[in-house]
Amino acid sequence: MTCGIVYAPSYLTHEQSSSHPERRERLSYTLDQLEEEGIFDLPQIRLLAPKPAMRDDVLLVHTPEYLHFLEEASVNGAVIDADTYVPKELIHDALLAAGGAITGADAVLNQEVKNSFVLARPPGHHAGRSHGAGFCYLNNVAIMVRHLQRRGLRRIMILDWDAHHGNGTEEIFYDDPSVLFCSVHQYPFYPGSGRFEDIGIGDGKGYNINLPIPAGSSDKVYRYLLEEMILPLADEYMPDAIAISAGQDNHFTDPLTGLALTARGYASLMQEMCILADSICYGRIIAVLEGGYSVEGGLPYTNLGLIAAMAGLDISSIREPEIYQDVLQKAVSEDAFPKVIKMVSELKKKLADHWYFINRYDFR
Amino acid sequence: MFTGIDIGGTNTDIAVIDSQINTYKVPNTDGLDNALQKISSDGRLAVSTSQPLNEIITGHPADIRTITIPGPGLVYPGAVKGAVSHRGDVVEPIDPEEIKKIMKGQHARAIAIAGKFSVRNDALEKQVYDIVSQFYADEQIALSYPIGALNFPARIHTTKLNARIKGKVNSLIRQVKRVNPDFFFVTSTGGLTSPARALDNPMLLFHSSPATVANGAYYLSKNENCLVIDIGGTTTELVPLKNGKPIYETVVLEGSKTLIRAVSATSIPYGGDSCIRAELCPFRAGSSRSFGGGEPTLTDALNVMGARIGDAKRSEVVDHTTAQNVVHRYLDMVSSAVKEYNPAVLIGTGYLAHYLLSDIAERAQAVGIVPEHAASANAVGAAVSKVSLEVHIHVDTERKRLTLNGIAYPFKDTKDDDHLLTYVTELVRDIARKEGAPEEDIEDIEVLFYSSYDVVRGWRVTAKITDMILAIAPGISVEAL
Repeated sequence: MTCGIVYAPSYLTHEQSSSHPERRERLSYTLDQLEEEGIFDLPQIRLLAPKPAMRDDVLLVHTPEYLHFLEEASVNGAVIDADTYVPKELIHDALLAAGGAITGADAVLNQEVKNSFVLARPPGHHAGRSHGAGFCYLNNVAIMVRHLQRRGLRRIMILDWDAHHGNGTEEIFYDDPSVLFCSVHQYPFYPGSGRFEDIGIGDGKGYNINLPIPAGSSDKVYRYLLEEMILPLADEYMPDAIAISAGQDNHFTDPLTGLALTARGYASLMQEMCILADSICYGRIIAVLEGGYSVEGGLPYTNLGLIAAMAGLDISSIREPEIYQDVLQKAVSEDAFPKVIKMVSELKKKLADHWYFINRYDFR
Repeated sequence: MFTGIDIGGTNTDIAVIDSQINTYKVPNTDGLDNALQKISSDGRLAVSTSQPLNEIITGHPADIRTITIPGPGLVYPGAVKGAVSHRGDVVEPIDPEEIKKIMKGQHARAIAIAGKFSVRNDALEKQVYDIVSQFYADEQIALSYPIGALNFPARIHTTKLNARIKGKVNSLIRQVKRVNPDFFFVTSTGGLTSPARALDNPMLLFHSSPATVANGAYYLSKNENCLVIDIGGTTTELVPLKNGKPIYETVVLEGSKTLIRAVSATSIPYGGDSCIRAELCPFRAGSSRSFGGGEPTLTDALNVMGARIGDAKRSEVVDHTTAQNVVHRYLDMVSSAVKEYNPAVLIGTGYLAHYLLSDIAERAQAVGIVPEHAASANAVGAAVSKVSLEVHIHVDTERKRLTLNGIAYPFKDTKDDDHLLTYVTELVRDIARKEGAPEEDIEDIEVLFYSSYDVVRGWRVTAKITDMILAIAPGISVEAL
C-alpha cells in the first residue's frame, strides 16, 4: 500500500503575522517526527511535490470576483476577518495549497499511490464560494473534489473531522447530491454553524450531514459516530473516492478547542476509513490538512499516526508521551457520550427519508 | 612532512611527501606493524583503513544486540522503555531493571544502543550505556547520538554496523598510536578525522579507498574533470571527478540506508591478483606467481605478454593464448564500464595502471594519463587530505539547548540569525582545530542547510528553533599544496 505525502518546504512560508496560531511551527515538529521516523525512506511512502493550482481550477469552486480580490490583496495585504488577514504574496501559497490537494488526487487517480495525505498550509474548509474566513482563503478540498469530478468521478464523500464546522465546504455543496458532506465538529463553537438539522436543500437534501459533538468528546465518541453514521453512510452512498478534511485540532492538547481525541484515536479512525475505502472505492482517500494547533503534543503524533494508518504500517505504538496523560484525563468529559447518542437518534429521524440504512437499523 | 597509508586488499601503500614524493608498497602478508615501521614519527600521518573494515562489514553477519528507545511512534524491534521528544526533552524515563534483565546472560558480541531523537538529547542513551558498560567493554558498545543526523531507522542501522567494527577500529588506533600518537584516519568522503571521532562513529571510515584515490589522482594530475581508474590487486575502482571533486552518495548496506556518505565509485571485482583458473576469476587466491604466489593471475598474464612485474620468470606457467584471452577479457570488462561514464580523460592509478591504462583508454576512446607516483595514488591522497566535518546543529532558545552532532554545547543567547551562525561556525572551527586542522583549512565553512522558525505560545513569539548543517568540505589540505 503506497501512501503519497504531498509536501514541499514552501508549505512553511505562509504566515499571516509572526505570532498567528496558523503558523509555520505547526508543521515543523511534524516534519522533525517524520524525518526521525525515516518515513520518506519507506517503500510504502512516496513524497509528491505539489504543483500550484491554475486559475480555472480555483474557478471550479470560487467566484471570479473573489479570486480577483485575493490576487489584488496579495499585492498590498488586506483584512478578511478578525483572525484572517491577507499577507503579501498570499496568492502563491494559497494556490500551492489547493494545487497540492489536486496533486494528491491526481496521484491517486493515476494509480501512482493508493491514497494521499496533503500536508498543505494555509487550510481551506471555512472558505466559501466568494469569501475567506477562519485562517482559510481557498477551499482546497472543495477544489480538489470538483477536480476529481472533472476527471470523471461521479460521487465523492467528504469527511470533515476538523474540530470546527466546515461551513465553507457545506455552503459550496449544500444543494449538490453528487457530494456527500459529513462534518464532525465541536458544537456550539466557531464558526457557529453546523447544526444537525442542516441536511441540505433541493437535490442536495439529505447529503449534508452535520455531527455536532460537545466539548470533552473522546475516542469513544468518534468510534461511535464512525460505526453508527459514517461507515453506513459511505456504504450506502458508494462514493468513487473519499476526501478527508483532516483537521488535527480535536486532539486533547489543542489549545484552541475542547475535544479529546488521542493520536491513537486518529490513527484508528484513519485505519477504519482505509478499510472502508478498500471495500467501496479502490482505497481512494485523499486527506488534506486543515486545522490543528497543538504543535508539540498533538500534531507530530497525530500526523504520523494518520500517515502510518494510510501506509498500512503498525499503529500500535502511535500515542502521545506519557507526560500528557493528566491533560487527557482533564480533557475527557463523560457527559459527552450520552449527548451524542441523543443527537444521533434525532438526526436519524431527520434523515430517515433519505437513507435506507437508518430504517433498516430501526427494526433491530 | 605528510605521510599517508592506505591498507588495500593486497598491499599497504605508503606515501611520504615533503620536498618530493616517495612511495612504498608493503605486502599485507607482512602485517601492518611491518608497514608502520617504515615511516617516521615526524609530521602528519593519515591512515586509510577501508580494507580491514570492509572485510568485517561484508563478512559473516555478526551477533549484535540492538537496544532501541523509540518512545511513541512507529514500531521498532529491540524496544525498551523511555522516550525523548522532538524538542529534546526526556518525556519518559528508562527502566534500569529492564536493561539489566536484557544484559544478564547476554551472549552478543557487541551492543548497539539507539534512541529516537537522541541527537537532540543523549541522556537516555547514556543512561542505558552506563548499565550496559557494567557487562561489556566500551569498544563493544556503540551509541547512536554522535552520528548527528535525524532518521532513526538509518541511525539504528549505522549504530549496529558501528558496534560491529568499533573493536577493530580501536585496535587499529592502538597499533598506529605507537608510531604516531597524533595521527588521522581518512573517512569515506576523503576528509580526515581524529581517532576519537572515528571511535564515536566508526562507519565514517568505511570504504575510504575510492576517496583517497580521488584525492590522490587529483593531486597528482591536477585534472578536474576525468574518470579515475584505480587498478588494485583485488578490485578495479572507477571514480568520476567533477570540478576536482568526487561525487558523494549515501551508503546503503544490507538493503538499508545508513547515515554515512561516501565517494561514489563503480567497483569491478577484478584486479592484478585475480587468479586464472579456467578463466579470469573475480577473486584472489594468494599473491601473483611473480610475487611468490602459487596460482597464476592477471599480473602473470601481463608478464607472459611482455611486462616485467616482479619475478616474470615464475609467470611462465600461463601459455600465451590464455594470457592474451585473459587480458582482453579484463580490458573489455573495464572499458565497457568506463564507457558508461563517457569520460574525455582517464587517469590511471594503482600498480597495474602503467601496463593497462593505454589499452583501456583506446577501447573507451578517451585520453589516458598515468601520472607519476600513480602506483600509490591512494596513499598520496591520504597524505594530502584535510580534516573535514559535517555537523548537524539544533538550537532551541526556550530550552537553552544547543547540540552539535548530538553533543550538548554551551548555549548562547544570540541577537539574530547572523550572530547565531557566527557563534556556531566558530564552534565548528574549534572542533576541527582541536582535531589538529590548520587555520587555512578551516576558513571556509559551508552552510548545507539552514532553517529556523518561531515558537509561538499564546499569540506571542516566545522562542526560536534553528536547524543547520555546517560542513568543512573534504579535499586537499592547503598545507600540502
